[in-house]
This record gives sequence, structure tokens and C-alpha cells, in this order.
Amino acid sequence: MKPFEYLRAADRGTARRDAAMPAAAYIAGGTNLLDLMKLEVMQPERLVDINRLDMKSVETTGEGGLRIGALVTNSDLAAHETVIADYPLLSRALLAGASGQLRNKATTGGNLLQRTRCYYFYDTAMACNKRDPGSGCAAIGGATRLHAILGASAQCIATHPSDMAVAMLALDAEVEIEEESGETRRIPLREFHTLPGDTPHIETVLPQGALITAVHLPAPAGGTQIYRKVRDRASYAFALVSIAARVTLEDGKIAQVALAFGGVAHKPWRDPEVEKALIGKAPSRALFDTAADILLADARGQGDNDFKIPLVRRTLRAVLTEATGGAG
Amino acid sequence: MAQTINTEVTRVDARRKVTGTASYAADSIPAGMLHGALACTAVAMGRIAGIDTARAEAEPGVVAVFTHETLPDYKTVKGFYAGGPGSASFWPMEGTEIRYAGQPFAYVVAETAAAARRGADLIAVRYEEDAAQIHMDPGESFIIGAGEDSEGMTLTKGDIEAGLGAAAQTVEATYRTPFQHHNPMEMFAATAEWRGEQLTVWMPSQSVRTLRGGIAKAYGLPETSVRVLSPFVGGAFGSKAGVTPYAMLTIAAARAVGAPVRLIVTRPQMYTVATFRPETEQKFRLGADADGKLTAFEHVEIAQTSRFDDVVNPGTHMTRSMYACPNIHTEQRLARSDTNSGGFMRAPNEMQTFFGLESAMDELAWKLGMDPVELRRVNDTNRHPVKDVPFSSRSLMESYDAVSRSFGWADRGREVGSMTDGDWLVGYGCATATYPTNMSPSSARVRMQGSGHAYVELAAHDVGTGSYTIFAQIAAAQLGLPVEAVDVVMGEADLPLAPIAGGSTTAASSGSAVHIACTNIARGVAEKVAAQKDGPLAGLDPAQITLENGVLKGPGGESQSLAEALASTPMGEIEAEGQYRHPALTDKALRMTYHGGYGVAGPVTPEMAMFAFGAQMAEVHVHRYTHEIRVPRLHGAFAAGTWLNRKTAHSQLMGGMVWGLGSALHEITEVDTPRARFLNANIAEYLIPVNADVRELRVEMLEERDDYVNPLGVKGIGELGIVGTAAAVGNAVYHATGKRLTAIPMRISDIVSA
Ligand SMILES: Cc1cc2nc3c(=O)[nH]c(=O)nc-3n(C[C@H](O)[C@H](O)[C@H](O)COP(=O)(O)OP(=O)(O)OC[C@H]3O[C@@H](n4cnc5c(N)ncnc54)[C@H](O)[C@@H]3O)c2cc1C
Ligand code: SF4
Repeated sequence: MKPFEYLRAADRGTARRDAAMPAAAYIAGGTNLLDLMKLEVMQPERLVDINRLDMKSVETTGEGGLRIGALVTNSDLAAHETVIADYPLLSRALLAGASGQLRNKATTGGNLLQRTRCYYFYDTAMACNKRDPGSGCAAIGGATRLHAILGASAQCIATHPSDMAVAMLALDAEVEIEEESGETRRIPLREFHTLPGDTPHIETVLPQGALITAVHLPAPAGGTQIYRKVRDRASYAFALVSIAARVTLEDGKIAQVALAFGGVAHKPWRDPEVEKALIGKAPSRALFDTAADILLADARGQGDNDFKIPLVRRTLRAVLTEATGGAG
Repeated sequence: MAQTINTEVTRVDARRKVTGTASYAADSIPAGMLHGALACTAVAMGRIAGIDTARAEAEPGVVAVFTHETLPDYKTVKGFYAGGPGSASFWPMEGTEIRYAGQPFAYVVAETAAAARRGADLIAVRYEEDAAQIHMDPGESFIIGAGEDSEGMTLTKGDIEAGLGAAAQTVEATYRTPFQHHNPMEMFAATAEWRGEQLTVWMPSQSVRTLRGGIAKAYGLPETSVRVLSPFVGGAFGSKAGVTPYAMLTIAAARAVGAPVRLIVTRPQMYTVATFRPETEQKFRLGADADGKLTAFEHVEIAQTSRFDDVVNPGTHMTRSMYACPNIHTEQRLARSDTNSGGFMRAPNEMQTFFGLESAMDELAWKLGMDPVELRRVNDTNRHPVKDVPFSSRSLMESYDAVSRSFGWADRGREVGSMTDGDWLVGYGCATATYPTNMSPSSARVRMQGSGHAYVELAAHDVGTGSYTIFAQIAAAQLGLPVEAVDVVMGEADLPLAPIAGGSTTAASSGSAVHIACTNIARGVAEKVAAQKDGPLAGLDPAQITLENGVLKGPGGESQSLAEALASTPMGEIEAEGQYRHPALTDKALRMTYHGGYGVAGPVTPEMAMFAFGAQMAEVHVHRYTHEIRVPRLHGAFAAGTWLNRKTAHSQLMGGMVWGLGSALHEITEVDTPRARFLNANIAEYLIPVNADVRELRVEMLEERDDYVNPLGVKGIGELGIVGTAAAVGNAVYHATGKRLTAIPMRISDIVSA
């Protein structure tokens, strides 16, 4: 591990000032950052500890939604009454992630910014454009069972590992940030994470030094909510594929639908065309397959992960069947 | 005195373990200790072209950086598969040669562990890289010693082609198993302290005698100058058996810097600096007549090995011992690739081969339209199929019958895909478990005090299995003491000889030695009290005095408790050694053990075949849409002679079945083929079962008496529970889905693409 300076910020202004250098990193739960530092995958020269900042509460907003402080732990958020009642798929996604011990430490902000689990990213003996821009991508042509089938580039085929973010994407969440200048704004989660393109080391639109202060959820949209995580081990494993679904039926037809996908791309994936194809239609297996066709039109396997393409299709069928009461 | 054998006894070290007062090797911190760290190669083949240690040496806290050019007095030993005590024959840092990825090329000593690690990361190294191949090529396989003495590596009995020709049904199938790593919780570690020519090494080890012998010989020291201590071991599973480069580097570094040095190997490094389970291919050709009786049995095992060792774990010796068949052909083959040498990992001969054999038997049962349990029954035998000697005991079908009852085997749907539960396809599968009963020579020293306390001392190991407890029980039972009154001291090479904690031999071998030592104590006390003037046993012929549950008994019903008798003697205390040697143990095997090797009698002696048996049944659910594979029920029934401690034995069998479940569904060391590196080298990404994977797990322990195996009638059980689990799961997957998965782990991707 590379030696680093450690500062504990008492307030947000100090935190932002302390972090105003490229080699600084905020540390929240540390469950991802510390692992990566020990392996020298990440080598910040300064850690700014934000755990004393006042960002630990979940509040109801004027718009009838929720404002979730960036330091609310995954455990607390999953157990929050309003979340369980009004946003159940978020609670389920959180509980499907990591382990009890990790969720006790992991925070809302840190979870959004966790890095990929690509084996090659973790092994400093391997070329990796994300860890070391321009060095190449050893995963391509290597072991790709966990890698992306959508939106990958010739520079990086990694996936985003978060469950929470997939659920929040299906809930139309927004990320509240405070820029280095102190200016606060909200970024729709849908625009927050980026595709790898030629710059896989850049994973979000969060400006350098900016602090995530909260995540906003709009007023509850209701509907049947499902979070389905598919993995070889029954618990404590990242998703091969996951789907967050919110479906409302009216008169036997799909009135509203939101579908977000995990384990398939460099970011939590949502495709408006898929949802458009479903809205106003009576649920049927043929309809679900049409939705999958649209979703997977540009899907490409890398060899080991080819199975994810049929797996997404099959999981979508399972989720929509369940959400619409067995029509598939 | 309460009976202590065949009861449930809580581990004597349980409290110390859960309160953190059990001291593991790396917990010992000699004064002035420095910290070591390894730097390991990125490339798998080639040479070190240059090493620049300047930045590492300049790092604050770094004391020294050693490379192949600068480590004086670095000694190595012969590899295990070349007849030595080493984990491999090729030793890193002897020169510039690189033979596997993650090979140590430098050793850093620093004032803190963090500085040592940082130093290791700051070493700049240039390679001349050659192409490397990590997977074996089964087409390039060979039989060890082919052309010379290949006895045992191939075997032909009868005429396999004739047997296949005569069969009503045949199965020809190939199964594959992956590279796997042991991943004990306790990291590999070594601490070395030199005081002049006296060396102390603290190291978690499955064989302190092997370690001491190897080190002493390498340094030309008398064994009395080398102390090796391994008080507790936090899991080993075969990975802590040999003399490893990380140990010898630490010893050399401590000598070079003139201070004690402790190295704790990092988790990723644990994947390359020691051994692993090699990948294998299992090829079967089976034939059976219309009644299911085997007419032909062919098994060819091809296992991966390094370029510098013939790592052979002869699994065909186990499969050919299983079922009656007139025509048998087996071949034990190896194929080389560019890795460090593999070794033994829990059930090293059995896990892979029984996944193959028991899957093939299931295929045969389906072809014959037979109940797979009945297929085993038809082919059950009480004589060894090759050596034609009787089994000393064999409760295979008793195990099947017991597990069939507890599992409800009779309730299964008879057709593939005939059972469902909501969106889950349901299947049942069964498989045989077996493990050879091997006996090593062992000694033990027991000291008993008239006050009612006893000490048991031997150079055996408790690798987490409960050895401390069962030795206390054995002594307590014989000496007539409560278990708490017996202290067991182990894990030190200076104590009486005990074998490697491997091959499930410790309980049977060292347990017998403890038993004999206690018998000798009784004889000593009997002689003394018989010679005395008064007392209930005075004047009797000592040869006629017997010991029973701690009571000395004369021929005419005279009796006195051993402790009382002992208290009446002038010294009030007695010490005796016990030496156990199975009558069938050859002198060669005896000598081998005394020189730190693995010398055993069994499993087949000239008069008997000794194996433990069991049967496993799995209920598997495969999701109709997502193809997730879950195992809501796993039942096993086992018979293995005397159960010394029903609690720790149950834990071993249950833990074995959990491990077997992991090999079925999760465990695989992922490999990067282009660069010949192991990938998922940490326990976040190397999956093993978690609680959610283990649902109803039932272990039934059958009574079995075997007077031949050893004085206690004990068979080893540390590995038995793993054997067959993967096949039981795979067979259930077939029953549920009609898909035959021929490689482990069996994962979603395999069903999607099957
Ligand atoms: C073994 C294991 C299994 C796991 N399994 C899962 C799983 O199944 N599903 C899943 O979703 N996750 C899983 N995780 C990941 C876990 O959810 C994340 O590690 C955790 O959410 C990160 O949160 P943290 O607070 O610890 O972040 P940290 O490690 O503290 O930080 C992560 C990153 O976020 C930055 N950061 C943190 N807070 C802020 C902020 N407020 N503003 C700006 N930047 C910030 C840090 O600088 C750092 O770059 C697993 C992790 C482990 C170790
Ligand atoms: S896929 Fe991305 S993270 Fe993985 S090696 Fe390639 S560049 Fe690195």
C-alpha cells in the first residue's frame, strides 16, 4: 500500500477544500477503496474521511419523495420503513448485495462509486485501461465470464457491480452533489454513470473533487416491484445479471413500466425503447420476447460471457411474468 | 467413569479459540522481530533480466531487500514427488529462471509489515518473457515411469474390450475438474529466529517433523538445533504439509539480517507460492449386463502437473477398488503445463475421480432403466475387485439404505423432469463416498499422576479437526479420568513421532499410539502394585492384571482404580510411551515416516482392504428461467468404524459435505490463458458455499465394528464427506433437467449452454 495522508473533515466545506487536489479521495465506509488501496489498484495520496459529516439521514421531501443522505449505510437504508413500504425493490436490491457486515459499513455514496470487479482490474500484473489508462485491456481475449454484453468498447468490457444503483435507476433517482466551488446540483442517475468508450478510467460525470451529498427518490410510483438477482452462489456474490422492475397494470395492460439491468454493462442499464414497447400492451410471452429483442439488439458476447445474452432474455421473461401475474 | 469414546464431547480448545487465547504460529512475536514480504513475478515463463531495488531500499522502514543474487545461505530441499520434504522441486530465487506466474523473485525485510509490503511493490523488475501454457493438453499426457517401473499406474485385469462387447449397455464419458485452491482461513506464515546455530521456526504446519527434518538437513544442523512449533493450525487441507520456499526464504533472511523475521503471505500470493488441486480429466468406459452387473470398467485419469514434478494423486487406485468387475483397465496419466507444482487438497485422489465415476454410474443406471441405488447394490462386493482380498468392513449398502430412508429416495419421480416446485425443476441424485483407511506409524508419551491428572505428548497436529480433544478422550477413557484432567501437547517437532496430518490418518494412527501408551502405563502400574506388600492387587501375577475403563482388574475379581493404584506407588507418577505400527506396515514405510515422509499401511494389505464408506443424496432445484442451481437438501450416511467423538466427527462429515457442495457448484480457480495466471486470487471472488447455499444438511453416522484396522477400530473421516457430493448434485441436475453436466463447478452458464 502506498503511504497516504489522512484528514478527517468536520464539515462539508473543509472536506471539499481538503479534497481539492487530483490525488485526493473521499473515504466513506472504505469497503471498496481500502481493498483497492491495499492492492495498489488505487493509490490516493490523501484520504479525506467524510464519516463525521452530517449526511446520515433519510428525509421526506416536499415533492413527496425521499432524500437519502450520502452516508446512510446500506443496512439502514434497506431497513428504512418508508423504503420497505414505498420503494420495496430498493430494499430488496440492497439486501441482495454483499454481506451483513459489509452493508453495515457501505454507504449510499460509496456504493454508487464502487469500482468494477473485473479480475484484471484487481491484478496489477495485468494491462488495464481503467487502472492504468493506455496500458490495454487484458480482459479482452481473456476470462470474460463476468463482463459486459452491452455498451462495451474496445478499451474496456467491465461491468458496474452495484445492486443499489440498478434499483435506484428503476426508481428514477437523482444524485445530489456539491461541487468543489460549493455549488449544489442534482444529476439524474440515468446520466450519472458513463460508458467506457476511450476513457474507461472515467466512470461517472461527477466532477473532480465533488462530494455526493444525497440521493433523491421521486414520490413513490407504486406498481409491482421486483428485484431479481441471478448468481451462482445463493448469497454474497455479485450479479451475473440482475433486473429491477416496476410494473403497473391497468385493465390487463401494462400502464407503466421501468426496467433497469445490472451485470450487463459499464453502468446500470436502462433502455427507454424497451419500456415503450411494453406500455399499453397486454402482457404475453411474445411481448416479453419482443422487449428482450429490443434490449439485446446490440448485445455482444466476449466468449465466456455469451451465456449472459440468453440469460438476460430468460430472466426478463421470469421477472415480467411474475410482475404481470403469470402471463408469460 | 463416564464413557468418553463414541459420545459428543465439546472441543477442549473451544473456549480458547472463541476467546482468542489459542495461540497460532504467527501470534508468537520474538523480541526484535522484523517483517518479511515477498515480491512475485508478473510473468509465468522466462528469466529475470534485471532487478532494481533502489527505490525499495530507500523506502522508510525497509531494512534489506534480497534477490537471487543477494540472499546468502538460502537453502532448498528436494520436492515431495522426488522423495523429499519440499512442496515442489523447483525453487525460486536460486537463479533468474521463471517457471510460473507469481513466483517469488525478491524478499524484503522491514520494520513493519506495511513497509515490507510497500518495499516489495517498489522493486522494479525486467523480464525476458517466454510463452507459457497454463492448461494441460490432455493429448500430451503420459504415464509416469512408462517403460520403467510403472507398477500401479496402469492396471489390466481380464479383457476390457471383451467386457464392453458383452455388455447390454455401455457408457463412455469424460468429466473435467478445475484448478482449485485450499484457501485455509489462516494465512501461510513463517517466523524464524536464529540464536547462533539454534533455529526456532513458528509455522502453521501439517507436519512439524517433516519441516524440522528438512530444515536441519538443508542447514547441516542436528535436529536438536532446530525447533519447529505449530500449536494450532487454522485450516490446512493439504496446503501446509511441505517445506515451502516462503519458509526457507524467511529462515535465510532472518539469518542474513541477524534478527527474527516473520512473513505472512498475502492471500493472492497464497495462490502461487504453494500447492493447489491440479485440473483433471476423467475418462470412463463402463459396460454392464442387463441386470446391471459390470462387465467392463475402464478409467483413465489425466491430471495436470508442473514441468518439474510428477504430481500424482492416484485416483484410479480408488475407483478400481469400488465395484466388482471381471474386466478392469485403469491408467494414471499426467500432462504438464507451466504452473508451480500442485499437491494434495482434501480428498486429493477421490474428489475428482468420484465426481467422474459416480456420474458415469448414474448415466449407466439411466441407460439400464435401473434405480441408481440398485445399480450400486448389484455391484457391491465384499472382496477387493483387483487384489481379491476381503474388505475389513464395508457398509456401503447400509449407508445407502440409511440415507434412502432419511431422504425419502423412494418418493422420487421416476422420469427426468418429472418433479417441480413452482418455477423450479426438481431432481434427486445419489452417489457413493469412500476413503481409504491408511495407518501411519506413530508414537505418543503419556504421563499420569496419582492425583488424577495426565499429560499426552506427541508431534501430531490439530489442523482444526479436533485432535486435541480426541486424544484427551482416548487417554481419559483408558486411564479412568475425566477428559478435563488430560492435557494434550502437540505441534512441536521435539515430541514423540507422529505422522503428517494428511490422508485422514491422525485419529487412527496417533490415536492408537495414545491408546498403547495408556496400556503401557497400566502395565507399569500393575507391575508395581503386584510387587507391593498390601493393596487389593498385591501379590498377583502382573500379566494377569487387565485395565478396563481406568480400573485394574485381577483374575479373581480383585480391582483397584488406576489412579488409586498409582497413588500408592512410591513415585506416585508414571510415564510410558506407546508405539503404534500396523502389522502390515513395511519397514520402508516405517523408515519413510521417521524421515518426515508419508509412510502408510493400507488401504490394501496382503490380507485385507481397508476403506470407509458412505452414501450421499442431493435434492437439486434448477430454476426454469434463470437456471440457477440450488441444493435445498443434502443427506449423507457414513460408516467409518468407531466414532471417537460424535460431535467432531459430525463436524468433519458435515464440513466435508459442504466442501463437496462447493466443488459441485462454486469452486474454481479462474485462469487467464494468454498470460498463464490464476485470476480470482481472493476469497471475495473464489466462491465457496455460504449459509444460504447450505440448507437442510443431514449427516447420519452408522455403527460399524472393525477389529482389523487398528486397536481402536477407527477409520479416518476428515475427507470422506467430500467424496461423491459433486456427483450426487450433478446426477440430481440431470434428473431435474435432462442435462448431463460433465464438468465442475456446475454453473448457470453450463445449463444455459448445455
Ligand atoms: C466481498 C464484497 C462483496 C460485495 N458484494 C456486493 C454486491 O453483491 N452488490 C453490491 O452492490 N455491492 C457489493 N459490494 C460492494 C459494496 O457495496 C461497496 O464496497 C460499498 O457500497 C462501497 O461503499 P463505501 O461507503 O464503503 O465506499 P468507499 O470504499 O468508502 O468508497 C468508494 C468510492 O466512493 C468514493 N466516495 C465515497 N463516498 C463518497 C461521497 N459521499 N462523495 C464522493 N465520493 C465518495 C470514494 O472516494 C471511493 O472512490 C461488495 C463488496 C465486497 C468487499
Ligand atoms: S475490462 Fe476494463 S477493467 Fe477489465 S481489464 Fe479491461 S480495461 Fe481493465
